[in-house]
Amino acid sequence: MGDVRRLLECARTVHDARAGIAPAIAAASGLTVEGVELGFASLEREASDAELRALVVGAGDAPRVHVVLSANVFVAPLRAIALARAAGGRVTVRPSPRDPTLTRALLQAVAAAGDDALALVDERDVSSIDSGEVHVYGRDATIAAVRARVRPGVVVRGHGSGMGVALVSHGARMDAAADALALDVVAFDQRGCLSPRLAMVIGSAARAEAFAEALHASLRALGTRIPRGQLFADERADARRWRETLAFAGRVWEGADHAVGLAPEDSPLQVAPAGRHLTVIPVSSRDAVVAALAPVARFVVAVGTDDLGEIGSMAPAHARRSLLGVMQRPPLDGPVDRRSA
Amino acid sequence: MSAPSSHSESEALHARARTMVRAFEQGVAMPESFDALAIDLARFQAKTIPGYARLCAARGVDPARLVRAGDAPAVPTDAFKLAHVFAFDGADAAVTFRTSGTTLGARGVHLMRDVGTYDAASLAFGQVMLARGLAAPVPVVVIGPSAEEAPDSSLAHMCTLFARALAPGSPPGTTYFLRGGTFDVGGLRARVKALAPACPAVVLATSFALVHLLDALGGEVLAMPAGSRVMQTGGFKGKSREVAADQLRHDVALALGVPERAIVGEYGMTELSSQFWEATLVDEGARHGVYRSPPWARVVAVDPETLAPAPAGAIGIARIEDLANVDSAFAVITQDRVRSVEGGFELLGRASGAPPRGCSIALDEMLSSAEGRS
Repeated sequence: MGDVRRLLECARTVHDARAGIAPAIAAASGLTVEGVELGFASLEREASDAELRALVVGAGDAPRVHVVLSANVFVAPLRAIALARAAGGRVTVRPSPRDPTLTRALLQAVAAAGDDALALVDERDVSSIDSGEVHVYGRDATIAAVRARVRPGVVVRGHGSGMGVALVSHGARMDAAADALALDVVAFDQRGCLSPRLAMVIGSAARAEAFAEALHASLRALGTRIPRGQLFADERADARRWRETLAFAGRVWEGADHAVGLAPEDSPLQVAPAGRHLTVIPVSSRDAVVAALAPVARFVVAVGTDDLGEIGSMAPAHARRSLLGVMQRPPLDGPVDRRSA
Repeated sequence: MSAPSSHSESEALHARARTMVRAFEQGVAMPESFDALAIDLARFQAKTIPGYARLCAARGVDPARLVRAGDAPAVPTDAFKLAHVFAFDGADAAVTFRTSGTTLGARGVHLMRDVGTYDAASLAFGQVMLARGLAAPVPVVVIGPSAEEAPDSSLAHMCTLFARALAPGSPPGTTYFLRGGTFDVGGLRARVKALAPACPAVVLATSFALVHLLDALGGEVLAMPAGSRVMQTGGFKGKSREVAADQLRHDVALALGVPERAIVGEYGMTELSSQFWEATLVDEGARHGVYRSPPWARVVAVDPETLAPAPAGAIGIARIEDLANVDSAFAVITQDRVRSVEGGFELLGRASGAPPRGCSIALDEMLSSAEGRS
């Protein structure tokens, strides 16, 4: 636990010096500098003893761990390294080739703090690893490729992609819930596995429409303070297809930096693409929420709500649960996705 | 019930579409321009399908002021999963076609009140592109289910349509070799061996069905009569091992004893009423991979972000305008990548969607591989 505490101290050091690395992170991630600043708020710097105990117990025990970081949000390396450090005596980390800045900064801070058990490697053939564990973060296909290459006896722990879902309860105050959800959407320009891509509003279609309008206003206001970064051509293409579909099926509110789509009541889920897009779905009952979520339940990493007491039976069992507005800040008590295998 | 005026307007539009089909069959000039009918369809659909009216409004298009069909918004295929895309009371549907499922569970639904236009359009173009020069009755072998067994499959409907037209009165037992989900390779072998050598036959199959056939034959040559043809449609969708198109064509040609040019690709979708065909049987200069459109349908490569036509020769996604889609969506936007070329368009596979830049799951990863025409 002490090793992880030291890592958190290093995270604070990196956070304090974030101005120096923010431009590089912005360039690599596509976020604006303002978006990077918001993202840094999600960098874990504190944890309770109980949270760290849970993380350490869940991490298991391995003599060596090699961490492979690929597609992820820029603050994710901290948790990945913490899990590996909790599990292994010696840890090597291959940063994301696209976005290595925070990983490098963390490991420099760790080295300066005197922990020589962590090392950065720019590339490593996983088939050369003969013992211990490989922790791989990325798409399912990436995880499968690593699994296929490791030697017998080497354990692979894969952490794939996912998404968040917002549940807006019967009793929600529309403006407050919309403001909070907008923060969750804007963080990392919705590219995180905790990022909400659907908002299910329990109640009538009119209520969902009111929420969609409120969310549109909240995203517009937040977008003036924290502009969206660059969307790539294929992301814009996905967004266009989603907007056309929702414009046909329901209604779309389009802002300069976002869009909110309203789907028909109890309709099949139309998950919004990343990049500050959200599908709002009116859901008639709690049972309808469960039924609607069933096909995507295995992808749902986080459920945010205005009423934690209300969602107990509706959220997939493995999903993290939080209030809206803090979906991107889960406690440091284990992997983000809780679906590691 | 749909309003009587809408019904009669629909009937009139169906009649105009069928007149175009007949003109094609008779080899005479089209009775009207493509855009004239397309614009009237857009206006009718905006009037009778609330979703299309909303889409037009969202894109600032007033259907009454349309002067070019290409300016009318196209309906994304995903809309067929979420909303009603039909211009009549659903209870009046004569057929309901559904796309195959996805991991998200939703299936696209295409209802037709009058399937006659679909049938006329499919037969007219299919007979030319696949069965030209064959004298009826032509034995038909379908490596797939019949329409009776798969009533919500537009592909089964089309195959049954062809079988009935080419081989009237043939018993189903000698035509369909996928029953209850089981491929009857023994029955197929017996059927082919019983064919008269001087009587060319037609095989209708999906790509994955052909792979299963090859696997079942295991190198055996099941020679079809000289002059036989094979229709190959669709991808693999996780239903068989994947084989490159050229390789599959080569292997099927060897296994069935037909020239490769007699294996013809067909491209269709549940959301459409018309199909597109490779022209290797009817044009010596045609090559595989290039699909031709009937005069009442066209495929335009469009930029996936702006939906504007792509520059000549550039790859885009397919915007398909189908004048036989009278009561649903005359213009559909797909995720299939195409490129306009001399004589038609190349079909280049499905757009994969944006890869994730974070750990947010990509849409295509969620949808998995099982989506397509059933």
